[in-house]
Amino acid sequence: MRDRRTFLRSFAAGVAGLIAGRSERLLAATGVATGPEDPEVPNEEVARILKGLFGDRPIRRGHVDLDMPIVAEDGRVVPVIIESDLPMTPDHYVTGVHLIVDHNPDPHLAAFHLTPELGQVSLSTRIKMKRSTWVRAILETNTGEVWADYAKVLVTLNGCG
Amino acid sequence: MSPIGEARIKVPDQIKRGEVITVNSIISHPMDTGFFRTAEGAPIPAFFIKNVVITYGEREVGHFEWTSGISRNPVVTFTLKADREAPLTMVWSDNHGGIFKQSINISFVSA
Repeated sequence: MRDRRTFLRSFAAGVAGLIAGRSERLLAATGVATGPEDPEVPNEEVARILKGLFGDRPIRRGHVDLDMPIVAEDGRVVPVIIESDLPMTPDHYVTGVHLIVDHNPDPHLAAFHLTPELGQVSLSTRIKMKRSTWVRAILETNTGEVWADYAKVLVTLNGCG
Repeated sequence: MSPIGEARIKVPDQIKRGEVITVNSIISHPMDTGFFRTAEGAPIPAFFIKNVVITYGEREVGHFEWTSGISRNPVVTFTLKADREAPLTMVWSDNHGGIFKQSINISFVSA
């Protein structure tokens, strides 16, 4: 999946480059990185959501793969894939996956409550995005660990009205 | 467009016992955010699926809480450890009290 993601990112960057004519300048202007990058500090609302969900537990990056397009042409329909390599056994499993879109009117977009009977963490859906922003996929295990992955998505057409 | 609440679930044709399968689902629903107006300027009230419950046989194996941030005609794909022959049922509920149900039988290929 990492390979596919790399491919998608480079492909999207290439398309953006064709459109803009100068891909490097576009990428620099939009702050889109090609490698791992930490999201900006959450705004007040997102910070409150994170605190409510996870308290003071550290949110560590890892064990989650959030796969999204680097450029979303239509904010009304943006594909999302969330996967994790964490086990789904009766003793150790992922209890919930939270999808947070920082600059959406309702940032806590979805919560997926899971059980070991699903066998693995592999979810996909389509979401709306108002504007370019960080997206956070944060999951929680039955032992209380919190793991996350982040993606910055450039939105061309507002999908939230 | 299909009537609101018309839903489909798709699983692989041939399933072996114990296999982790991919389940695809789609339901017809406008998923209105409440932020848009009609061409005449009348507000369109929020109208969206807020809850999805997945049951395999007698047991609930997952439930999803959604907002109007999920795209129109919501699709969701998830996995299931197919370890018994039983119906897989999904129930979608919207914020206007609409409840929509769809089922598919999980059965194994004979060896």
